[in-house]
Amino acid sequence: MSTARLAEVREAFHTALREAGTDPDRVEQVRIDFAGRRSGVLQELTAALRELPKEQKREYGQALNELKKLVSNQLEEARTAAAAAGRMLARPKVDVTLPGRTARRGAEHPVHLVRRRIEEIFLRMGYDVEDGPEVEDDWHNFEALNIPPDHPARDDQDTFYLPGGHLLRTHTSPVQARVMERQQPPIRIIVPGRVYRRDSDLRHSPMFHQIEGLLVDEGVTFGHLKATLETFLHALFTDEMQVRFRPGYFPFTEPSAEVDISCIFCGGSGCGVCSNSGWIEILGSGMVDPRVFDAVGIDSDRFTGFAFGLGIDRVAMLVYGIPDLRQLFDGDQRLTEQFA
Amino acid sequence: MKFDLAWLTDLLDGAPEADTLAERLTACGLLVETRDPIDGSEVWDVEVTTNRPDAMNHRGLAREAAVATGAGLRPLAVDLRQTEQDAAELAAVQIDEPELCPRYVARVVRGVTIVESPDWLARRLEACGVRPINAVVDATNYVLLELGQPLHAFDLEKLAGRRIVVRKGAPGESLTTLDGETRKLDPSMLVIADDNRAVALAGIMGGADTEIGGDTTDILIESAHFDALSVRRTARRLGMHTEASHRFERGADPEMAPIACDAAAALIAELCGGTVCRGRIDAYPQPWTPTEKEFSLTELSAFAGLQIVDSEAVRILDGLEFEPRTDGDRVVVTPPSYRVDIDVVPDLYEEVIRHVGYDAVPSRLPVLPTPPGHRNPSWELVDRGREAAVCAGLTEVMTYSFIGDEDDLLVNEWPLVPGGQLPLDNPLAVTQNTMRRSLLPGLLAAARETLNRGERSLAIFEVGRVFWANGEATDEAPRLAVVLAGLADGDRPVDFGDLKGKVAETMDRTGFETVSWTRGGAPWLDESEGAVLTIDGAVVSCAGLLDTALGERWELRQPVYVAELDLSAAPASPPVVSFKALPRFPAVAADMTVEHDADLPYATLQQTVTELAGSDVESVDLVDRYTGEGLTDGTVRTTLRLVYRNQERSLTQEEVNADQDDLRNRLRERLGVSFA
Repeated sequence: MSTARLAEVREAFHTALREAGTDPDRVEQVRIDFAGRRSGVLQELTAALRELPKEQKREYGQALNELKKLVSNQLEEARTAAAAAGRMLARPKVDVTLPGRTARRGAEHPVHLVRRRIEEIFLRMGYDVEDGPEVEDDWHNFEALNIPPDHPARDDQDTFYLPGGHLLRTHTSPVQARVMERQQPPIRIIVPGRVYRRDSDLRHSPMFHQIEGLLVDEGVTFGHLKATLETFLHALFTDEMQVRFRPGYFPFTEPSAEVDISCIFCGGSGCGVCSNSGWIEILGSGMVDPRVFDAVGIDSDRFTGFAFGLGIDRVAMLVYGIPDLRQLFDGDQRLTEQFA
Repeated sequence: MKFDLAWLTDLLDGAPEADTLAERLTACGLLVETRDPIDGSEVWDVEVTTNRPDAMNHRGLAREAAVATGAGLRPLAVDLRQTEQDAAELAAVQIDEPELCPRYVARVVRGVTIVESPDWLARRLEACGVRPINAVVDATNYVLLELGQPLHAFDLEKLAGRRIVVRKGAPGESLTTLDGETRKLDPSMLVIADDNRAVALAGIMGGADTEIGGDTTDILIESAHFDALSVRRTARRLGMHTEASHRFERGADPEMAPIACDAAAALIAELCGGTVCRGRIDAYPQPWTPTEKEFSLTELSAFAGLQIVDSEAVRILDGLEFEPRTDGDRVVVTPPSYRVDIDVVPDLYEEVIRHVGYDAVPSRLPVLPTPPGHRNPSWELVDRGREAAVCAGLTEVMTYSFIGDEDDLLVNEWPLVPGGQLPLDNPLAVTQNTMRRSLLPGLLAAARETLNRGERSLAIFEVGRVFWANGEATDEAPRLAVVLAGLADGDRPVDFGDLKGKVAETMDRTGFETVSWTRGGAPWLDESEGAVLTIDGAVVSCAGLLDTALGERWELRQPVYVAELDLSAAPASPPVVSFKALPRFPAVAADMTVEHDADLPYATLQQTVTELAGSDVESVDLVDRYTGEGLTDGTVRTTLRLVYRNQERSLTQEEVNADQDDLRNRLRERLGVSFA
């Protein structure tokens, strides 16, 4: 017996263990063959120690101990590996392409998604979000806004009337008047809300949603109006979008401006959505008419301001490509689920 | 409004090419919406806003085009040859209502032959959407389209007494207008009459009796000015809208009446071969008086946010015929008679700024203090409710704020009825004739439609206002309603528990606290599966299975669970979360199965257990509920899970068992329950 024999055994052990792989039975057989209490090779090698001459004992003993440690460690590792492999074999494999389990997801109506987006932009610019009644009186809806009875502009805003001289507001502008009646400038507000007009076709619904904006202070200019609306429209759509201001007419602003954006579908080259004009009308705006200030008790010599309004539903239709305005109010969950 | 491009450029000296012209008109506020080529010209559809009747004719539009492009506007020239015979000898005009008819100009043309119009004229009329009739009528329409003055031609022979009387309609009087309709007149309407009867509705339409016919030889041309409001009211009452009324309602030009009258007379004589009698009959009881207005150039620039060159402002105002005079920084103008829209100083600013061009104004954000904006609490509230419902897995829909009155009448039986019915005076449809007092009728109709389209699982909500009459006043308040039907979790029928879970979660997240559920809600809700929700005794919601008979009304033939919630009863702001120290010691869970009478509400059992349990009990939750085999009728077995935890040390199983035994004894005593 010699240390050479020990090297042979180590080699044989390695070979046996490699061949056993992760089969637990074969790993066990390797253990019995080499480290078995009764007939293991290590047992035999230990017995041989006693037979050796004294001068060889020390060197052989040390090498034998190292071999024992190695065998014990590697057997342990092999057993663990075999056990792990066994567990893997026992479990079925998951088909990772199967759908997962989820709770039913709710969703907000696209008109409100757009409203929140618009509110967010103006909140960041320091505007307050105001609210007002949907059932209005003639004063706030018309007269205070420089639309006296029999004004032709009332034709464009065909109105639903209720008993007692009440009416359904035809725009969110009455909230402008209400805020100015109770608050002196500086005023910086937007007013989202539901409005009503007696009209129904593909592009008109008797009920729809608007956002109104108003800024009143000393020294407010038409240039301020332009910059504010450009900033807003760029934030809502893209910075590349072109914005065009055209003179228009609203009884409560003077001068008034219609605001167009370059068509978001064709980029301005002309398509069905923009009637081949390259532009889409998106906003009405203007400098607050001094007669409105006079009606609500704000000094029109001292203050100027601008106001604007846009249809939220219309923006939703544009952004999401919804063809029929009335579809938004059908109460059909399949519409909203697309926005979950 | 339709315009003929060739006609327009005829009125201009040095008109630019069509593309430039369209672009400049659009930039100064006259949007050229469409351009359609026709033989040798183009038809333009131009959006002329209601405040600009002066631009609702070719000359008016050409005036704007001239200022916008730098072209010249050709002067008005009427080549009129008159005979020696004095018109005043052949006809007379009498105005009884000078307020409503400030001016009436008439001319007489004799010996005309009624012929068809030449092609060039007929084509121009057709391009503008006016049907050619005969040369006399066409000539009046042609002048209207060119100069904006509505005109009317009477057959002079048919005017009794050869006299025009402008007066109010008489009670019981009637008039057959040119469209063949017989109109009942009354004193609210201004009419043109002869000595015997009404012959025209002033400013709206002529009468059939005095119409130009094939045998007409002598005609009287009316070129008058009528009060806008009077024309508007009469046209609305009679449901009429004509080229003439459209212009008068918005405001015509009293100074144009004689010029247009001459132009029409000359054109008729040219086309129909008659002779124009000498002189105009011109009754002008209320002459237009020019008013000067002035503004500061410095203030104009400040208002615009653009330094506007003085000479440019003056050039624009001069081109628009405002006769500007400068006096240092002041500009004094006299707005022309046709500019009915000019009143306050910003009206003048607009004239200058729109012709300088909105594009020229530099965009500059206002510099203001920027505290973060805040949202009105009412918006915070409804959006909190909306978000809560979305978190509970519900899909938001929108329905109309108005419903049919019959559906709304049912709301009288709903525990959440807010007040009296609020009908619309002028609804579009009977199915939309009343303001909703509950969101449910609209949602149930939507549910029917959605289920009919084959949806197998419905879980919708709506946030919106309800409206009601409150005596003479009206009121409105925010509501949130839920409808569930079909399958839940993909494969089992929806039940009360699904509804309660979603409603409770929604209310909780919205900020409602200590809500009590008690059975109720009939007749809307099923006797056995309906609940009324209260806070301190006040009803805030109802939730449950929709009554079968009521469901039939909406053709809903499967179980439908509904709830409506009064959002206005929610606290203005949500409760603030108050942090509790995280426990350091483990919890011990122990179940307890209680047998009790089915009439004992779970809420009572749960609250009693919570109350009687020691302070170590952290939570008491439902694990299982059993009825059936092994239990007598009317008995229920409820399994509760109690979680014990002490803040200072770990509890042992023995301690928990002892507490459980003690609790069982106290429950037997308090509620008369037994234990399995």
